[in-house]
Amino acid sequence: MLSLNVMEEELIGIKNTALSFILEAEDLETLEDVKLQFLGRSGKLTLTIKDITKIPPEQRKEVGILANEVKQTIEDAIKSKSESLKHKTKTVLRKKIDVTNPAILPPLGHLHLVTQAIEEISGIFEKIGFTRVRYPEVEWDWYAFTALNFPPDHPARDDWETFFVKSAPSPKYGPMILTPHTSSGQIREMQRVEPPVRMLNIAKCYRRQSDVSHTAMFHQFETLVIDENISISHLKGVLDYFAKSYFGENRKTRIRPYHFQFTEPSFEVDVTCGVCNGKGCRLCKEGWLEMGGAGMVHPNVLKAVGLDPEKYTGFASGWGVERVLMMKDGIEIDDLRLLYSNNLEFLKQF
Amino acid sequence: MNIKILDSWLRDYIKTPAKPKEIAEMLSTTSVSVEKVEKHGDDFTYDIEITTNRPDLMSVLGLARETAAVLNQYGIEAKFIPLKLEKPQAPKIDLIKVVNNPRLVNRICAIVMEVKVKESPGYLKERLETSDIRSLNNLIDITNYVMRTIGHPAHVFDFDRLNTKNLTIREAEKGERVITLDSKEHILYGGEIVAVNDRNEIVDLLGIMGLKNSVVTENTKRILFFIDNNEKSHIRKASMSLGIRTDAAVINEKNLDPELASEALLYGIKLYEQLAEGKIISEIIDIYPNKQKAKEILVSEEKINKVIGVKIPLKQSSQILSGLGFENIILESKLKVRVPSFRASDIEIEEDIIEEIARIFGYSNIPSKIPPLSSQLVVNPFANTFYWEKRVKEALKYWGFTETYTYSFVSEDLLEGPIKEAVAIQNPLTEDFAYMRLTLVPSLLKVLSENKKTENIKIFELSKIYKRQENELPQEQSALSGVIKNEKTDFYEIKGLLEQLLNDLGIKNSVFKNSEKGGLGASVYIGKEYLGEIEVLDNRLIDFELNFEIILKHANLKKEYKPLSKFPPIVEDISVIVSDAIKTQDILEEIKKQSELISEVTLKDRFNDSRTFHIIYLHPQRNLTNDEISKIRQTITASLKSAFNASIK
Repeated sequence: MLSLNVMEEELIGIKNTALSFILEAEDLETLEDVKLQFLGRSGKLTLTIKDITKIPPEQRKEVGILANEVKQTIEDAIKSKSESLKHKTKTVLRKKIDVTNPAILPPLGHLHLVTQAIEEISGIFEKIGFTRVRYPEVEWDWYAFTALNFPPDHPARDDWETFFVKSAPSPKYGPMILTPHTSSGQIREMQRVEPPVRMLNIAKCYRRQSDVSHTAMFHQFETLVIDENISISHLKGVLDYFAKSYFGENRKTRIRPYHFQFTEPSFEVDVTCGVCNGKGCRLCKEGWLEMGGAGMVHPNVLKAVGLDPEKYTGFASGWGVERVLMMKDGIEIDDLRLLYSNNLEFLKQF
Repeated sequence: MNIKILDSWLRDYIKTPAKPKEIAEMLSTTSVSVEKVEKHGDDFTYDIEITTNRPDLMSVLGLARETAAVLNQYGIEAKFIPLKLEKPQAPKIDLIKVVNNPRLVNRICAIVMEVKVKESPGYLKERLETSDIRSLNNLIDITNYVMRTIGHPAHVFDFDRLNTKNLTIREAEKGERVITLDSKEHILYGGEIVAVNDRNEIVDLLGIMGLKNSVVTENTKRILFFIDNNEKSHIRKASMSLGIRTDAAVINEKNLDPELASEALLYGIKLYEQLAEGKIISEIIDIYPNKQKAKEILVSEEKINKVIGVKIPLKQSSQILSGLGFENIILESKLKVRVPSFRASDIEIEEDIIEEIARIFGYSNIPSKIPPLSSQLVVNPFANTFYWEKRVKEALKYWGFTETYTYSFVSEDLLEGPIKEAVAIQNPLTEDFAYMRLTLVPSLLKVLSENKKTENIKIFELSKIYKRQENELPQEQSALSGVIKNEKTDFYEIKGLLEQLLNDLGIKNSVFKNSEKGGLGASVYIGKEYLGEIEVLDNRLIDFELNFEIILKHANLKKEYKPLSKFPPIVEDISVIVSDAIKTQDILEEIKKQSELISEVTLKDRFNDSRTFHIIYLHPQRNLTNDEISKIRQTITASLKSAFNASIK
């Protein structure tokens, strides 16, 4: 049995200790700790109040009143301290911050413009069910030319235009070259899968040229769709979709006759100039910019991979990643070689 | 190639109310691209890009015929006025004999005329000059004017300077020398088509350019007017290797219709008569060994509709073709089409005819449709590669790296690795492009040296490297490389970068060992599989290269759930004094194996010969007691003492 006196003393002791802690608390966290320490479930005051059962019943009422007073006092003290701390904290912080001081930045590098373009292009085509692939850069002549219906004496096969590898030619596939276009991927893809084919091939290509608008290494993205009853109408649909997705809703496209060995009919695809909006200016041709080539897959190409041109038709397009990148609003790079100069001042702009 | 012609010249051969802008627009969308229409005094010039398959359009006549066909289709009145040429009277005098080689030249038309050298009339000079052809005198100008009008190059010799009975066509031999009419000397590669006189002196570089020794001069009295239709790949080769890109060469290297040769001759004769007081003094020479038969092609209505995607009545197709000069008849549901000689090189199959129909029908009249999605399941074996590539690139970007794209080629100096394994380029553009690279690092270091002004650099590249294989295509392997230049950088920063990168790819078992290559750095493994290297080049320069194919093999999105611990861990630090030679990894492993209750050990600090390890003890089912911990601690202390001769602080 505890006596009334002991219990009273203890309660008063708790009150004094708690008040001194509260007084000393310099921030809200400490104050919260104090609250827990005294008023929490296993706080000192809480436990002491439980001990009330250990004193004689006739004295309990008196102790009860005292205990409530103590509790109320502590709660009030915490409340008023808390108010004053809140107020104080704000003023202290306001003094500390100069928002114009330089920030501490997390590290942030830059992805190359070509990577950014490739990501964007892939996203657009993948939404309409194209499968993105990548095929060899060092390739056999057969894949890059013969199977694509290039005659043996075609100028693209000259060593003025295409890089040749020092290597014995294959008896089956001819000389080894650096692929000058992603179209070689058409053949690889048709060998890999049966129709229906819906390919997006993005890869590095190489041609023997270097000037303000050409680099010896560049990137192309090639589409190929092969199925029964694929027509020019479908080709137009896909390129309209691409142009509007990539360049913007208000850009228009047109196709006009052109010539490629591996397509028949062949087209050149134009998109309206973003600078003059198709009115005609210094940068474009009567309001149009050339985006690249396209066409209906030549029956000889289908035959080369064992597909029946009477059953299947298809279309293909092959465009320069760098080219569509430059045609986008806001990026007017006067020398394409800058893309591969790896001047950090340039790379860090994007 | 581009040609420029005056609107008024075009209208010599087409009668139409269509305005130049309309003509340009129509041609661009249905035929060849008119890149610019510009006002030229009262006149207009068209700047037109002619595709290689349409040499017939490299002429005013060809363009006029095509324009008329197009305009008619769109309901604009237009009439093509062909050139009317008659074979002139010629004496039966054989002044010169041309000895052809049919392997080299398909057709030769020629004639000898008496002429007077003069200035050309104004209209002709203006037409040539707007076509970017310099006017010299009437004799030369007529050859160029014929070429532009008809589309077949022509040549004129001073007949007396030729001074020969025979003009023999042969292939040049390597090392023979010629001086072209622009006074430049060329040493021939062998295989160029040349004409020689009786003394075996070369007097012409056929199809490319005339020579100084036989060109007309101010004193020319008699000319040999000469039209040669050459085998195209000889021309291409000669023109490219000699670096002579004349209009004639560019036209001659295409499939040029030999039927045009006689038209060019007759038109030229007429012009010499009109503008140079020309008189024919020899018979007309026409050597034509390679005459071709007209092709006939059958096209079905069904195929037309299938390829174009719109129904076009056969009758309309027939009309379109007739307008373009293709005679044809309708046979039930098919068209039988005869290909005109000027299109013979370009039109071979049904699809070629369909192209003619489609382009004149108008591509803008064909609706746009997205092709229906496949009903079959599509699995993309490449998807994984692209996913991880993107993820790695983005991680590096957000850790402050900038991505570079360097050329896949390197110079011999920059080639690192065994030269025998490298793919060598036979015809590099410059010495900088001699080999395909075996590693990316040298290219990245080159970027550093080209950006000397930048103090702190963090760059990376994810690209292919190429390893030669006997009788096969090279092995193309993706590599991930990076270079860091910074005063404060050290090995552990890069080790941490790679470790964390691999962690993000779900690869938790990366291992770093002393570099096998000997230098300062580390070899990186995934488990036991070799992944690549970190190289410390100097105090402020570190590079790394990893085999990305190996990363792809191990990268994964596997997720594993471990129940959260309900009991608090006990944490303590132990400081050990131990020799520098002992590897931290070995100590960590030694500590870890002392008890299953040790859930994690890490190196917290290292100072001189003292290392502090941070140990976390955890029991999954209950609270640990101090007794238990102190027992484990004793075991650790003892084992470190015996294994590494370590003392505990």
